[in-house]
Amino acid sequence: MNTAAAGLPAERIREALRLVIDPELGYNIVDLGLVYDVAVQGTGDAVITMTTTTRGCPATDYLRMGARDAAFSVDGIDSAEIILTYDPPWKPKMMSPEAKAHFRIRDE
Amino acid sequence: MLAIPGATLSRWTLAYFAAAVAFLLLGEALMVLGFGYPIAGLRAPQTLILVHCITIGWLSLLMCGALFQFVPVLVAGPIYSNSLPLPALLLILGGLALLIASFLQLAGVLPPLPAVFLGASLLLGAGFLLVLWTLGRTLAAAWPLNLPAQFVSIGLASVAATVSYGIIFTLGFGGYSRSPLLLGIQAQGLPLHVSAGLGGWLTFTAIGVSHRLLSMFMLSPELDGPTTRWTFRLGTLALAILVGAGTIVVAAGGGPGTVLVVAGITGLACLALYGRDVLRLYRQRVRPAIELNSRMAAVALAHLAFATLLLSACAAAGVVRQYIGPLLFLIAFGWLSGLGLAKLYKIVAFVTWLECYGPVLGKAPTPRVQDLVVEPRAARWFWLYFAAVDVASLCLLLEAVPVFRVAAAAMLLASAGIALELVRTRRLANVGEELRLPAGAQQPRLLFTFVGN
Repeated sequence: MNTAAAGLPAERIREALRLVIDPELGYNIVDLGLVYDVAVQGTGDAVITMTTTTRGCPATDYLRMGARDAAFSVDGIDSAEIILTYDPPWKPKMMSPEAKAHFRIRDE
Repeated sequence: MLAIPGATLSRWTLAYFAAAVAFLLLGEALMVLGFGYPIAGLRAPQTLILVHCITIGWLSLLMCGALFQFVPVLVAGPIYSNSLPLPALLLILGGLALLIASFLQLAGVLPPLPAVFLGASLLLGAGFLLVLWTLGRTLAAAWPLNLPAQFVSIGLASVAATVSYGIIFTLGFGGYSRSPLLLGIQAQGLPLHVSAGLGGWLTFTAIGVSHRLLSMFMLSPELDGPTTRWTFRLGTLALAILVGAGTIVVAAGGGPGTVLVVAGITGLACLALYGRDVLRLYRQRVRPAIELNSRMAAVALAHLAFATLLLSACAAAGVVRQYIGPLLFLIAFGWLSGLGLAKLYKIVAFVTWLECYGPVLGKAPTPRVQDLVVEPRAARWFWLYFAAVDVASLCLLLEAVPVFRVAAAAMLLASAGIALELVRTRRLANVGEELRLPAGAQQPRLLFTFVGN
């Protein structure tokens, strides 16, 4: 995945993905660390690699579709592909410092 | 990297929950009215009505509804059928109605109608068979099973045993059994029926599901270490001894006493390991502030620990028979119903969120699951419920029947309060106006879930 080369569009997608919250934790999937990678290939083909807090989570399909719709809403993005992975499995330490502070989780 | 399909929503889980809560309220109302135990004896037909309203109507329907939603989560795969749970529910409800009619006939309230015994057996058997078929096929598709799913599979084997004993008893009451083997089971098998139902079906399944739910909701490390594996092995062994050896002994005309002691000691070791795991889940949680459902689950777990100690002490003193009523009451209402209400409070909010806001995720701002509930208000009902259960248990122990009925009224009030909170959650009544129904979101119905697939 070529995140670094994606530049500004990838950042805009990440911003748009903040609209998508994990319903259980009530926090956006970007700061929770559920979005592993955002890449923009070609002229506007977004590829988002993400996970869920737990395998088999009933919200999985909604999170995937929500992420796709949010990415698609960014100007200049013509297609959005979501790759769901559990490798590596999500760990709370993947949260942003803001999210950790919100959940009163100690930053290691 | 693999793409793994997510589990889906269960269409009829809410209908199971609604029926279950109705039976809980009915059971509690019967206790307030003085119907059945403790005014009547433990084996009186009135008590059997009360007991089956709680064990089949409330606890089993609650467990079935929860499993239709959570077995797909446990195995990370789809439910085998989202349609079969409805006929299963109708069959179980019909069977339970006929079972109640059978007991009313035994009590002399209804005139003799032998067909009700046969009808109750057939409908309940068919209903639970459909439940087992749907969940069994879902589990089979996910072979080899992970540890939580293995717990559920043994729980399902236990409900098969429990229902089979129940059918043998019901057919016996109706005069259909002539075989000495079946008559032996009918004469001595009641402790096996009760233990397989409360211990195997309800408690062992709850253990398996709670491992996963508690770790999910508190962000605790998932349990799959040696302690959990031994919890599973010992519990399975206890149930195999109970159902396997127990059935052989009672069918041969013997008493199940020795089998119950051996299975009980094995089950005790299983529960001790479970207790260790649960403490670890709570202590190693990443989320310091835990939600009401996890706090109330802890109170229910404390009731399980207390009931287990009490049962062990009574067994050691040889007075189990004398105190079996209060002990079973504590297990049914302090542990199983307490845990059931706590998890129901969470699951209803979670399912409602998925149904209503899942489809608009990424398109519009959505509330959190927690925004669908008002915990401080519900907490008062939960504390009242547990306090009332404790007072009621004490009254049973002290044979203070009038006070027991007052405590039962408090249980009824608290349960109705929690039920009302569930309805408010379902109606999105706690969600702020600006987030309640974004464009594209659908107001959920009370009794079923809109399922896209």
